[in-house]
Amino acid sequence: MNFPDNARLLQLAIATPLVSALVIALGRPKRHALKLAAAAFALPALIAIRLWAQFPAGAGADYQFASRLDTGLAGFGISLQLGLNGVSMPLFVLAGIVGLAAGLYALRSGAERLKIYLLLLLVMQGGLLGMFASVDLFYFYFFHELALIPTFLMVGVWGGRDRNYAAMKMTIYLTVGAMLSLAGLIAIYVQSGAQSFDLVTLRAELAAHPLPFTVQKHLFGLLLFGFGTLVSLWPLHTWAPLGYGAAPSSTAMLHAGVLKKFGLYGLLQVGLPLLPQGAQHWAWTLALLAGLGNVLGLGFVTMAQRDLKQMLGYSSVMHMGYCFLGIASLSVIGAGGVVLLMVAHGLSVALLFQLATCIHHRTQTFDLTEMGGLARKAPVLAAFFAAAIFASIGLPGFANFWGELAIFVALWKFSPWITAVAVAGVVISAVYGLRAAARIFYGPPSEAFQRAAAAQPPADLDWKERLPALLLLATLLFIGFWPRAVSDAADAALRASLPAVVPTATVTFHR
Amino acid sequence: MSLAQMVLAILLLPLGAAAVIALFLRKQGALASWVSVAAAGAVVALTLPLVFLQAGATGSVEWLRLGSLTVSLGFKLDDLARLMLFVVSFVGFLIHVFSLGYMRNDPARARYFGGLSIFMFSMLGIVLADNLFMLFVFWELVGFSSWLLINHWHERQSAADAAKKAFIVNRVGDFGFLLGIVMCWWLNGTVNLSELDARHIVSAAVPLLLFCGVLGKSAQMPLHVWLPDAMEGPTPVSALIHAATMVAAGIYLLCRVNVLMVPEALNIIASVGTVTAVYAALCAVVQRDIKKILAYSTLSQLGYMVAAFGLGSTHIVLRKVGVVVVDLWASFGVGAAMFHLTTHAFFKALLFLGAGSVIIGCHHEQDIFKLGGLRKKMPLTFATFTIGVLAIIGMPGLAGFFSKDAILYLAMEKSTPIFLALAFTAVLTAFYMVRLWKITFFGEARSAEAKHATENGISMTVPLLVLAILSVVGGYSGVFGRLAGRVADLVPDAEGSAHTTILLVSLGVMSLGAGAAWFFYPAAGTDALEAKSSVVFSFFVALKESFDRVYGYYVAKIQQRFAMVLNFLDNIVLAGFIIRGLAGLVGLLGYGARALHTGNLHAYVYWFLLGTVLLWAFATGFF
Repeated sequence: MNFPDNARLLQLAIATPLVSALVIALGRPKRHALKLAAAAFALPALIAIRLWAQFPAGAGADYQFASRLDTGLAGFGISLQLGLNGVSMPLFVLAGIVGLAAGLYALRSGAERLKIYLLLLLVMQGGLLGMFASVDLFYFYFFHELALIPTFLMVGVWGGRDRNYAAMKMTIYLTVGAMLSLAGLIAIYVQSGAQSFDLVTLRAELAAHPLPFTVQKHLFGLLLFGFGTLVSLWPLHTWAPLGYGAAPSSTAMLHAGVLKKFGLYGLLQVGLPLLPQGAQHWAWTLALLAGLGNVLGLGFVTMAQRDLKQMLGYSSVMHMGYCFLGIASLSVIGAGGVVLLMVAHGLSVALLFQLATCIHHRTQTFDLTEMGGLARKAPVLAAFFAAAIFASIGLPGFANFWGELAIFVALWKFSPWITAVAVAGVVISAVYGLRAAARIFYGPPSEAFQRAAAAQPPADLDWKERLPALLLLATLLFIGFWPRAVSDAADAALRASLPAVVPTATVTFHR
Repeated sequence: MSLAQMVLAILLLPLGAAAVIALFLRKQGALASWVSVAAAGAVVALTLPLVFLQAGATGSVEWLRLGSLTVSLGFKLDDLARLMLFVVSFVGFLIHVFSLGYMRNDPARARYFGGLSIFMFSMLGIVLADNLFMLFVFWELVGFSSWLLINHWHERQSAADAAKKAFIVNRVGDFGFLLGIVMCWWLNGTVNLSELDARHIVSAAVPLLLFCGVLGKSAQMPLHVWLPDAMEGPTPVSALIHAATMVAAGIYLLCRVNVLMVPEALNIIASVGTVTAVYAALCAVVQRDIKKILAYSTLSQLGYMVAAFGLGSTHIVLRKVGVVVVDLWASFGVGAAMFHLTTHAFFKALLFLGAGSVIIGCHHEQDIFKLGGLRKKMPLTFATFTIGVLAIIGMPGLAGFFSKDAILYLAMEKSTPIFLALAFTAVLTAFYMVRLWKITFFGEARSAEAKHATENGISMTVPLLVLAILSVVGGYSGVFGRLAGRVADLVPDAEGSAHTTILLVSLGVMSLGAGAAWFFYPAAGTDALEAKSSVVFSFFVALKESFDRVYGYYVAKIQQRFAMVLNFLDNIVLAGFIIRGLAGLVGLLGYGARALHTGNLHAYVYWFLLGTVLLWAFATGFF
């Protein structure tokens, strides 16, 4: 293991998409632009996998592959500090893999002005990778914005139905959410007196001198509702189904799959460790909003959806409820479950959004009531979609199960009733998930589908569609069969950062 | 090959087969089927030595660790697991072989056999699991396999609906099951079966929550509704998953967590089992579809097993071994339930495969009133099916007789109401089975399909023969004792006058039911009960449909409407009023922004880049 080299690789992974975007912007001919973009998506993914393989899981508490670059902001206590700990490593891998899948799919999407579309996706990808690799909170936020702004542009320009309204709404919500969380981050910087945005320094400082309870309470509230808006905490979620319904598929894949995790990641890495008492103060509020709002309420709302993409959007919002519940449990088990579920959900929701577009190409509609019987024409597509649905409804064998299981276990200690609500969500998601799969693929072909099929006989998934889907599915299965690939590192990191949260509830049973 | 490697191979061979089929053999149905059969055969080959050498072992690796939570992937091979292992692998293998013939002309054969292999993997995982988390993992996976295989003929709306229903209803049961596991973990700090055996905190909530899982998987009331619909799957699947093995997993689970049981929980379990046994037997009387009759019969027999388990631990006599008084309470229920599970797996698999043979022989005609006269046309199927019928109705000397007697005896000792209910069920069982048998095989052929019926090839008849032999000998201690080890010692055994009483009772109920059916039903094209007593008939039909009606009403009228109302609130109230109000405010700011709204995409991108650079320059103090 050669650490300086890996630190370079980490920098390279973040720089590649950004530099490539710049090169494309400066006007390389299209033919090369496509090749360049493909390489710029592939390289970070390969680097992420290599770093993952070399990550010393036991030392997950410390930032590995670390490097520091001065960017002229040292006067503010800001420098570009990169590194990965046990929580950020899995998410960095998520960003790499979903980015590659979304990129591959975009390359063959035949979008208009493909060059600019790819350019924006690359900027987004660079932002996503940088976001999870930043140890410095300023850059953490900066990279998030770098990824967020192209999202708005892509929804507004390449989006589907209602794209203008959706783009506007997304922009308002996410900007407000981002502003609130930025205010929270800056307030932490000011209040801590550490004169630094460096997370490690802040942690040490605040562990030695915790902030007074009232301050913690207000700061965590800021972060919770700021980050909460970005992750679609009920009732601040309404941008999400609309936005995803309108977003072009690769954008939806990257936003729902990766970018949205920013808020959860922020709560895990910043909120809980730095403001433990604040977190405790808000835990019940969060649990009720997420449990009754996201999981139960929006679970039922998901059942009522007729539009496939809206349904996926709502189901994604519903599953974010589990993540919030894991955070509310204020425990290593729950937080570890959140890490697993963030990765798993990111992969599965990206897969579902991709397949939704593949379905649309064949049926010319997203309306579930007009579909039916597609499996006989496209059995491989049906198999992929069924797998993705089963992953998202938490079937063991896929990564999502482990996240949900750990969260349920952790929640019991918090409140058995909230646990019951959360587990009821598992039944609800089975209802809408299997119903959607059955409506689209099984039973006799619908009239609308027969018409569409007569006009243009639908083919099964081709290899350009299969490749990104396989990539996502294989990762889901790998973590599903071997969750320790994620959980060991996360466990080490969370044990180090969280005990302060609930000094009383670290129950030590012998198993 | 070490023991642990053998166990690992048993578990992973079917998974490997399924993976190979899914990745490479989707279009080579013939090859796929042989890969799957070979894997099932290898599992049997590895299982037999384990069973006959009575090899016991445990072992585990850590699967997930977060904070104080550890989930391990381990196996516990004890007498109970070995018995179940034998039942699953042996019956499973026979049904694989039968499927070679049954699914010969199916275009999606590869998917079918891949599904069978996935099922074997999942089911064997349940059998071997050494802790409840792992058991739950495989529990969900058998639910998935069940979905996959019921959905096999997915072009049919009914098959797609049945698959969905099966999975969702099971999930409802698993809601409680999972909560029970989590609660058990927090109470005891472990869900490892051996550790729970050694030490656990007494609680009524844990076993009752775990029992919710059994309600779903073993299709007990009120979650039984999915099993009759599941007959939409290919018949070998009905035999394997929905009769012999998966639905019995609930009973196996109960026996696995036997130590956690408390009297209150057992009383509830016994009642649920008894009610299911009677109810399903009543429903079976008015069915016309050969598979549906067998499905209700399965429900009823599962109720028998659940009742037997629930009975076992109430006030049973303690046994003395030397000077030590051994507390064997609950264990008689385990013995009786597992005994009946085993014999039922043999004869019900036989009956389903026999039905499959009839269905193939008669070109997919499943209405018994349109069959008839198959006795001569399908002699081997007739002979083996007859053995199956005799076994299930409790003909002395056959497997079902012994296991049913054990349960009746236990019931007689423990609870008169349950005894009477189960005896009544036995009358009904003999009644509907003889009805099915007579109408299908006797008289004249009543349709073109039945007229041209022919016996099937050896891949289908050999499994029938083997299962017929097991249905005869499976109840003798020389066979069952060998398979079950110490579990066989727990089978309640009537002695002295009780022995005579129970023998007379079971002979009585059998002859009553069988005789009544034989004389009541002519081998004709109409249902005699419907013709002679339409009130009784329609009462039974209404009884059967009542649950589906209630659930149908709930799904369509309550759940969906509730969802629509919430959706309306979400869209109109939240997204509409509140958010548009905010948007109006922001809209004012939009006036300024509109100046930059040139509609040129490049402009947006460059504005964005320029803004970033400006911000940066400002922050670094460039200005």
